[in-house]
Amino acid sequence: MQAPNHRVEVMGIDAGGTMTDTFFVRGDGRFVVGKAQSNPGDESFAILESSQDALAHWDRDVDAVYPELVTCVYSGTAMLNRVVQRKGLEVGLIVNRGFEQVHSMGRAIQSYLGYALEDRLHLNTHRYDEPLVPLSRTRGVTERTDVQGEIVIPLREDEVRRATRELVEAGAKAIAICFLQSHKNETSELRARDLCREELARLGVDIPVFASVDYYPQRKESHRMNTTILEAYAAEPSRQTLKKVSERFRKHGAKFDLRVMATHGGTISWKAKELARTIVSGPIGGVIGSKLLGEALGYENIACSDIGGTSFDMALITKGNFAIASDPDMARLVLSLPLVAMDSVGAGAGSFVRLDPYSGAIKLGPDSAGYRVGTCWPDSGLDTVSVTDCHVVLGYLNPENFLGGAIQLDVQRARDHIQAQIAGPMGLSVEDAAAGVIELLDLQLREYLRANISAKGYSATDFICFSYGGAGPVHTYGYTEGVGFKDVIVPAWAAGFSAFGCACADFEYRYDKSVDVALPQLAADADKAAACATLQAAWDELAEKVVEEFVINGFAPQDIILRPGYRMQYMGQLNDLEIDSPVGTAAAAEDWDRIVDAFEDTYARVYASSARSPELGFSVTGAIMRGLVATQKPTLPEDEEAGPIPPAAARIGSRPFYRHKTWIDATVWKMESLLPGNRVRGPAIIESDATTFVVPDGFETLIDKHRLFHLREVK
Amino acid sequence: MSTYTKEQVKHLVEGKLDWDTTMRMLSMPKDRERFTQYLEVLQSKVDWPDRILLPLGPHLYIVQSAEDQRWIVKCDCGHAFCDHSDNWKLHANIYVRDTEEAMAEVYPNLMAPDTQWQVYREYYCPSCGVMHDIEAPTPWYPVIHDFEPDIETFYEQWLGLPVPAKAA
Repeated sequence: MQAPNHRVEVMGIDAGGTMTDTFFVRGDGRFVVGKAQSNPGDESFAILESSQDALAHWDRDVDAVYPELVTCVYSGTAMLNRVVQRKGLEVGLIVNRGFEQVHSMGRAIQSYLGYALEDRLHLNTHRYDEPLVPLSRTRGVTERTDVQGEIVIPLREDEVRRATRELVEAGAKAIAICFLQSHKNETSELRARDLCREELARLGVDIPVFASVDYYPQRKESHRMNTTILEAYAAEPSRQTLKKVSERFRKHGAKFDLRVMATHGGTISWKAKELARTIVSGPIGGVIGSKLLGEALGYENIACSDIGGTSFDMALITKGNFAIASDPDMARLVLSLPLVAMDSVGAGAGSFVRLDPYSGAIKLGPDSAGYRVGTCWPDSGLDTVSVTDCHVVLGYLNPENFLGGAIQLDVQRARDHIQAQIAGPMGLSVEDAAAGVIELLDLQLREYLRANISAKGYSATDFICFSYGGAGPVHTYGYTEGVGFKDVIVPAWAAGFSAFGCACADFEYRYDKSVDVALPQLAADADKAAACATLQAAWDELAEKVVEEFVINGFAPQDIILRPGYRMQYMGQLNDLEIDSPVGTAAAAEDWDRIVDAFEDTYARVYASSARSPELGFSVTGAIMRGLVATQKPTLPEDEEAGPIPPAAARIGSRPFYRHKTWIDATVWKMESLLPGNRVRGPAIIESDATTFVVPDGFETLIDKHRLFHLREVK
Repeated sequence: MSTYTKEQVKHLVEGKLDWDTTMRMLSMPKDRERFTQYLEVLQSKVDWPDRILLPLGPHLYIVQSAEDQRWIVKCDCGHAFCDHSDNWKLHANIYVRDTEEAMAEVYPNLMAPDTQWQVYREYYCPSCGVMHDIEAPTPWYPVIHDFEPDIETFYEQWLGLPVPAKAA
């Protein structure tokens, strides 16, 4: 297709439950997207197939391309599914005696995590999932360390030995140990870990032991315990999967080291000790991709919006940074992992549409058709209308070209179902009912987007909105209309944007540790120095771990860029902020002052200068250490501008399209054939294999030299 | 709108319905046919001919007598308690736990209420002995009449069904 003398440098993988997407970027910024049916039995096979599908666009072969690659990043849902379906390793758990039930109780909140608001409010829907470790494989041992870190009851060592023997007998394939307050004083827990290992050696049993302080020395024991268990329960089996993928790459000549997208927004090696943090990766990729795009284009404030089949995810990048949540929940578990902060609502392009029989109102979701698309797909086995059905009926989607023609959609079947379930009972025409559904969804998403921006104290007029995800561009106009964004951007590779984002991420390890430092506003210099010493000790400890991880991957310590950070709050307030440290090391009173200033600046930016409350004093609640090494990232494509008139060849034809109570003819364009500088005025539909971009009347889109579509309203 | 099979409703009544379906039933608006399906399932579980109008508990119903169309309260086993407007509890066998020893049978040591303040009254079917209800009032409190349903309004205005015939 293009000049073949460019190397293919970067590969991104998004291994989803149904499809495995691959994304390849050449040295000149050109990219191809490949798709293949996922293969849960052997993921490496689906990745290979998907790669072949992608590279066929360039007439190239994996055996020739894999050896050229310098970067490959994997993201996938396998680990998440393993947890959701409770198909992990049989783990044994050792805790303080009397606290054996803590894991099952899940802070009570786990009985309704992930629910829609209505279901949260109704007690009869609350339910505890099966715990990752059953009570039968949990043992308590006598020990107590108090909140100040004082050992008030020493560890009864023989109980640890007995617990180890019993857990082995109960079939444990790994043992996790988590004691109260071990983040304040690790002595007892580390002693228990060593005793447990000794006992296993004596028994001749070779199973891994995970002590929570070695991984997540953070306060909140339910979070810490869950995360440590996850490391044994799900991460170890995933490591085997990744090993297999990596070996398959090697067989095809690959020289790169496979990396995995992690919750903190960086990528880590599949050999990393803390692999549990790769549990969620796909949606994060989009945020990282937006950040990189923003940096390249000079945008500081970006509203990232990703609409898929089941959910709408949004994240904000402000002043070039995304926020990190320190104890998020995932898969209905509270965890202590740093996670790129995102907000999700369970409404997507595949959401089911139903009528409330009492109020007669349209109700969207919360469940969705997922990969089964909707009733318009005769093989779906569905008989409940989905949002996609409405799009098909109204001419937004091409029934002949869904997923590049992979499946044929039956418009009449969708019409019949909408008539029977929605339009008939409401006394509307099928078109008006379907249009009503779309308007309702767009309204919900728009209000959600607007509310999330204003709730954080920002104004949409300061933001550029990025819209991506397989279904994003169909809805872009709908959920951005009237919000007032500075610009609305749809990348041509919207469907592969998450995989692209993963490939953009730094090779970065990040370790966190809880610390307790509290100083009044006007503290003595000696106190400030002491506070610095505490923080520095935590940084040193974390830096050691970060360096160790890179050394596993063959990096020399001097190649690692270390970036310390901390979480700070005004004393007595409940929410802390994460700050990149202005000082490389903290020792003297001046360092403390700079640490405080950096916090106050951030506080003023996130909230308001007038909300600053230095008179309360300052607490440091956590120490953070990030370490990164330089990696190859995708470059953006840059094309010559070709003027505002699209080439005739790009025009495929026209299609009737229903909006605002009338059918109008929309011009259909082929996305790949449009050129930079081209302007397309609505009503128009821009199609490619993986996505459909809708530009209704009253809108215009301009494609720029990076193959980004800018959407704006015109009068 | 969601619809469910009679089989699913049967599993729901028996407590055997899978959680995903149960959760969906709980969080979605109730489908119109549900009550009729529910009554059909209940009816298929009893071996007397009287028509069930409304369940009062896991083993207790308000039924339309097959003999004379009177609305009465009836147990699974066929034992007829009384007219539906009466308090069936006054026609049941009653066991009152009002001593420490009696409480010790159902609670671990020191976990039971002080019987000077609270007693348990257990209501049993005089024919088959199934426990229909327990109340936990203060000792002097009269027998509680829990539920006095307005069946006519419920059928006519909530369900949109004809009101079953009723002998005066």
